[in-house]
Amino acid sequence: MSKVVVNNLKYRYPLTENLAINGLTFEIEQGELIGIIGRNGAGKSTLCAALTGLVPHFFKGAYGGSVHIDGINVKESKLSYISREVGIVFQNPFTQMTGAKETVKEELAFGLENLGVPKLEMLRRIEDALNLLEIDHLRDKNPLELSGGQMQRVAIASILVMHPGLLVLDEPTSQLDPQGTAEVFRAIKKLSNQGMTIIMVEHKIEEIAEYADRVMFLDNGKIVAFDTPTNVFSMNHLEEHGLRPPVFTRVCKGLGIRDLSGLYPVTLSEAVNEVQKFNESD
Amino acid sequence: MQNISLYVNKKSFVHDVDFLTKLIYIFVFIAIPIISGSVIIGLLAILISLILHTCAGVLKKLIPIVALSLFVLLSVIIVQAAFIPGYHIVFFSLGPVHFYQEGLIHASLIIVRFLDILLVSSLTVLTTRPSDIVETLQRKGLSHRMGYVINSIFQIIPQMVSSMKTISDAQRSRGMETEGNLFVRVKAFLPLIGPVVISSLVGTRERAMALEARAFSADAKRTYFHEEMKYRYKTPVRIILLLLLVVSIIWRVL
Amino acid sequence: MNLIDVQNLHFSYPEGIELLKGIDLAFDHRSTAIIGQNGAGKTTFVKLLKGLLKPVSGDILINGVNTKEISVAKLAAHIGLVFQNPGDQIFKSSVYDEVIFGPHNIGIPEDEADESTKKALIEVGLENKVNDNPYDLSFSERKLISIASILAMNTQIVLLDEPTIAQDDYGKQLIQGLVRKLEGEGRLVISILHDMDFVAETFTRTLVFQNGKVTMDNDTKSVFSQTEAVRRAYLEPPHVTQLGNRLGYTETYLTAEQFVKDSLRKREEFKQ
Ligand SMILES: Nc1ncnc2c1ncn2[C@@H]1O[C@H](COP(=O)(O)OP(=O)(O)OP(=O)(O)O)[C@@H](O)[C@H]1O
Ligand SMILES: Nc1ncnc2c1ncn2[C@@H]1O[C@H](COP(=O)(O)OP(=O)(O)OP(=O)(O)O)[C@@H](O)[C@H]1O
Ligand SMILES: [Mg+2]
Ligand SMILES: [Mg+2]
Repeated sequence: MSKVVVNNLKYRYPLTENLAINGLTFEIEQGELIGIIGRNGAGKSTLCAALTGLVPHFFKGAYGGSVHIDGINVKESKLSYISREVGIVFQNPFTQMTGAKETVKEELAFGLENLGVPKLEMLRRIEDALNLLEIDHLRDKNPLELSGGQMQRVAIASILVMHPGLLVLDEPTSQLDPQGTAEVFRAIKKLSNQGMTIIMVEHKIEEIAEYADRVMFLDNGKIVAFDTPTNVFSMNHLEEHGLRPPVFTRVCKGLGIRDLSGLYPVTLSEAVNEVQKFNESD
Repeated sequence: MQNISLYVNKKSFVHDVDFLTKLIYIFVFIAIPIISGSVIIGLLAILISLILHTCAGVLKKLIPIVALSLFVLLSVIIVQAAFIPGYHIVFFSLGPVHFYQEGLIHASLIIVRFLDILLVSSLTVLTTRPSDIVETLQRKGLSHRMGYVINSIFQIIPQMVSSMKTISDAQRSRGMETEGNLFVRVKAFLPLIGPVVISSLVGTRERAMALEARAFSADAKRTYFHEEMKYRYKTPVRIILLLLLVVSIIWRVL
Repeated sequence: MNLIDVQNLHFSYPEGIELLKGIDLAFDHRSTAIIGQNGAGKTTFVKLLKGLLKPVSGDILINGVNTKEISVAKLAAHIGLVFQNPGDQIFKSSVYDEVIFGPHNIGIPEDEADESTKKALIEVGLENKVNDNPYDLSFSERKLISIASILAMNTQIVLLDEPTIAQDDYGKQLIQGLVRKLEGEGRLVISILHDMDFVAETFTRTLVFQNGKVTMDNDTKSVFSQTEAVRRAYLEPPHVTQLGNRLGYTETYLTAEQFVKDSLRKREEFKQ
């Protein structure tokens, strides 16, 4: 059984005219790392909300089709149940602090207290997350007095500690410095290799090309493509859907470097190899 | 965000006492002077509270609280001693105003009680972390939703202050004068009210989602990050306090 | 005269450690990117320039005026700041009211204010959302509103705190166009960014903040040519620069176009 099964999902926000999500059908296997890309307003965040049950339990409006996670219909189960299995990091880090806790470490503990995780286990998970996101030095700081990037790290950590089986991340690195971004991607890749299913919305296309197993390209609430990074970024007419391919792909396109089946390099190391061959050929 | 809760984070044996024991202390130390009706007992209670404040290292914090109440106290003295009709023995006079002895005695009783209540409660407020209060109540069966609400109430003022500062920064950043004399400040303050209310309403919705994401409504049996406040001498202290209360009642009845 | 002079600037938050440890900088009209690790003090620095925070010691002169000696409101006619968190900036209930708030306050006449408001909204592509409530719009759109509300004030200096957060490629190109246009008009744009590709493609000068100091300050290309120093500041060179480095090229590339053009030329030369 697939981890996530979405069948002809449609959704319209209350008081709006257009479908934010317009007939999505796809499956995701356990342990996959999926990148969701697409221009502003494409429906990425709405899909995240649907995968975590916030649509339709929190956002009302018109809902059609179904989302199943581990075989359970999200629409028919309670948020309290879904939130144990599915974690979500929202797009805007400034509104994700609970406001009930005075220090970063207590902020991380909040979800664990709700889940009833025993004290010792709680401490272990918090230490791990503090180290993973390099926020150990902030452990006793007030979560509302952090810089944007620090707050985003705390937001990610506070969901990671809950060990969700399915992790949904909505632009989790938008305010991180370049090395922080790379570290988050590496950490997430590792978690996915350990069996966590991860769905991640990102505009950082080069990192998606490097780390995602598959890329879902959304536009106008529909799937334009759902395939490996190489296949998706080698497509023509990406620009018509508002997407600039990774810089490595653009360089290779400019140099006319592609393989026999018409595919372009999408990652740094692929591009290095191919450009080298290109330079040495005559 | 400014933390303007009164709690003073220190280590002392007073801080170690758990919240429930402190509640009993509040009750007993307010009840005894009232039951006894004696100014001396009242003064004794105040003295003990003062000593406890000193031990807890929060005596300094007490000064502004007492100073603020001084105003109230003075008006009590004046009203009680000078203006309540029916007193006869003049104790001393300030020009045309006579202060009566009965009035002064009565006033001192009120002042002593007032100070007693003030000191006893301030000791608890100054030495107990608000979130510990909430957690104690939660462990005693308060629902964690209510717990969150109470916690938020503790934070309303700091939150309002910080949200006002944010919006006022946004406004002066775009040319609205907020610095200067009282008139300018008041004029700048009024347009703040609307946005502060709206932003807290919008914030509520996003906050609710953020809480959901942390399994806030999960029906698991909760655990706690902070150890339950375990006060070693909880039982003897509570027994002594209650005994004092019983003794004072008996003494009064006899 | 420099548009901004920063002299021996020191700053710490109350009860915090010293965050900025003696910064000396001068800004002319070159568009300038500020990059650095999370928590390096970049946001704090632009709030100091804006006058919202005051130096613990040292001075900041905006057009020769010390920020300690003028109210933030008066300074606002000369220097605008787009906040990192649009939620910290937006407080009106319609997009139009939000954007025209600044022009009104700095005394621009009504019809001119209306005109520059509408122009700013067109420039960020929100002309169809004039009457919407900002709270109903998405995070990326709210960021654009806060940019428009600064553009509408036509200040000589524009500070942008992470303007590209949540923007798609179209939005980034739009912001890039704005930066170039402002620079072309002789106005100073200073922007904090974590997107190195965008920095490389857009800004003339780049500053690196690290450990409370400005450790690198040069034209953008020179900064990114010092790969090791950039990495030590918890940054990475732009992706295309990394490609060139890995291939052992001595040239520091900042855009894909330049990379392609040079590669094709070298290949032609090689063939002949
Ligand atoms: N709360 C809401 N109420 C009404 N309409 C909404 C709401 N949230 C999003 N929409 C609309 O739904 C559509 C999809 O929005 P969504 O936020 O999912 O896009 P997105 O791909 O996440 O964009 P971005 O890259 O800007 O985050 C858009 O047309 C948007 O205007
Ligand atoms: N109001 C505040 N009170 C106390 N400390 C603060 C406050 N705001 C920020 N800080 C601290 O000051 C440091 C610098 O913060 P600042 O926001 O300037 O960083 P930044 O370089 O903009 O980081 P980012 O890239 O994450 O936005 C951080 O360590 C932060 O935790
Ligand atoms: Mg989104
Ligand atoms: Mg910042």
